[in-house]
Amino acid sequence: MSYRAGTYDDSHRPLIDLIPNDSLYVSDEEDGFYDGEDNYLINPKWKASVQRVCNHIPRRLQRYLAIYIGLLVAAWLVWQTFFSASYNEHQQQIALMDSTTKETFGSNLRPHFKHMIQVGTMDKKHLPVEDKRLIVIGDVHGCKEELQALLEKVGFDADNDHVILTGDMINKGPDSPGVVSFVEKIGASSVRGNHEDRILLTITDMENSHVALPGPQENANRTNDTLEEESFSQGDYKIRKLAKKFSKKQIAWLRERPVILRVGHVHGMGDVVVVHAGLVPDIPLEQQDPYQVMNMRTIDLKTRVPSENRDGTPWEKFWNHRQKKLPSHKRMTVIYGHDRKRGKNIQKYSKGLDSGCVGGGHLTALVIDSKGKNKYVQVKCKQYID
Amino acid sequence: MTRHERGYDIRSLQGLTSNTRDRSGKRGDPMGKYFHESTFDSHYDGRFAESALPNEERQIHLSHLLRTYLATMNDLGAETWIMHGSLLGWWWNRKIMPWDSDIDVQVTEASLAYLAAYHNMTVHHFAIPAVVGDSTATGPKGSEGRNYLLEVNPHYENASPGDILNVIDARWIDMATGLFIDITALRKDVAAEKAGVPGRMLCKDRHHYLSTDIFPLRESMFEGTPVRVPYAYQELLEEEYGKKALTVTQFHGHVFEQEKMMWVPKFGLAVGP
Repeated sequence: MSYRAGTYDDSHRPLIDLIPNDSLYVSDEEDGFYDGEDNYLINPKWKASVQRVCNHIPRRLQRYLAIYIGLLVAAWLVWQTFFSASYNEHQQQIALMDSTTKETFGSNLRPHFKHMIQVGTMDKKHLPVEDKRLIVIGDVHGCKEELQALLEKVGFDADNDHVILTGDMINKGPDSPGVVSFVEKIGASSVRGNHEDRILLTITDMENSHVALPGPQENANRTNDTLEEESFSQGDYKIRKLAKKFSKKQIAWLRERPVILRVGHVHGMGDVVVVHAGLVPDIPLEQQDPYQVMNMRTIDLKTRVPSENRDGTPWEKFWNHRQKKLPSHKRMTVIYGHDRKRGKNIQKYSKGLDSGCVGGGHLTALVIDSKGKNKYVQVKCKQYID
Repeated sequence: MTRHERGYDIRSLQGLTSNTRDRSGKRGDPMGKYFHESTFDSHYDGRFAESALPNEERQIHLSHLLRTYLATMNDLGAETWIMHGSLLGWWWNRKIMPWDSDIDVQVTEASLAYLAAYHNMTVHHFAIPAVVGDSTATGPKGSEGRNYLLEVNPHYENASPGDILNVIDARWIDMATGLFIDITALRKDVAAEKAGVPGRMLCKDRHHYLSTDIFPLRESMFEGTPVRVPYAYQELLEEEYGKKALTVTQFHGHVFEQEKMMWVPKFGLAVGP
């Protein structure tokens, strides 16, 4: 084998140099191999810049971020499972409260009863001007001592102050006739509560001589009544017994109390009315169903039918909602009692004052002065009933 | 069974009815059923009428029937009040609803016993002036005005709702048209009381109530006449007919027009509920 020098020298150069054109080979591992095709997820330029930014954020902060995102997801899950439904319900309730339907409660000829005054108006001279005050008191239920203690506490002054009771001043407690006499003596206003209503109806029934007369020969003017066992009140002897305790004068006074008392315009409060239980919004006072004004607790938002049970929406919630929709001069504030369970319940356009005195709670007074300032004063009551 | 318990048939009412034939459904009724509805319509007494009245005419007679009943009960001192469809009619506009074909009233047990003891089978005469379109303005024998019969079911002493043939305790019957008012007594639910639940009441027609929802009664007006209605009238109506019955102003082919406070027939409205 012989090697020529020239050939030998050439052999010392790397073989690759002998390839005339090195562009023949392209590696698919090179970055540029896939250039021109848009099948990447994130533009590498962005990716790079994100990475650059990330590198500037401390690791600890990155960890926190992950934790926060985790918490956010958890919160969302909790919302979905526990609160979303009630929130939707709330939204639905608002929508119902805002809706106006044509077929709604109160289209009928308002029920009308003998010996029942629907609307009364308080004498203008009692309106709180200058140093005059209005003192509105919740359900007294025969608790005369507490009523007197409360008036003492608010510094009741017969010349300047006018007292209004929200009804149910009688029954359950120790001295119903005493309360009526006292309230009458101080010239207070009051509305008819469901307890006054029941007693007055019972009294009317007792006055009417009917039922099971022992025959046509019976003397119509008899004074003793033999109806005790079989009569109208069907065993409600407690009511009958209480009914007999009132004098004719007291009964006459009680009968004159309206179902709704229009107090009038009070500075800072607008138009004020007093009822025992509640009112249905958007129905004139004259058109309000008297039974429900004395008994309601809730309103069914779909039909606007009020009810004494608690299945619907609290009437005062609906009332406040609707008042805010009215022009301010048409808004009305209702002061009421009746709902011992919900107790003292103060909202912008409704003031619930029954704080369960007779059951050992408090007797509440709302004192309104000429500037429209509302002050609540309470006394603790003895427990007379469970 | 005595004749009394089988009811007074047309022969025993001679001179009191203008019917020549007995149209009562007595023959088709089971033994032991006291009151018999007519063969032509269950709202008529077949001893006093041979055919049903046209609708509009019927409403005039129903109104008379109601007013004479209320006035008589008031005079006699029997305690009665309206229920069911009549109470709903009262609630809307103090009138019988134009599509109502009967009147529903209840009495206390004591009042029923009193009516049974002293006023059963009494005829009450009312000088009711003739009404336009009224084909029966004069009563039998050409007398002016109209006669009504108060008839008590002798089975009233059986308080059991199981006595399904005699759920109606008494009737107030228009002797000229055969229309009548079913009277049912509201009774103490003795079984519930024994079980320790006082204050429950029921009728033989199986309607039951809380005594505090019915009593004390309220005095109002119905068809222009003083009437008594139950204490918790609205709650009772809602329980029986639902909230819609107190809000829906299109019903049974009628529209409640608020300007007139009247149910007015409307052409094109469905007659069904």
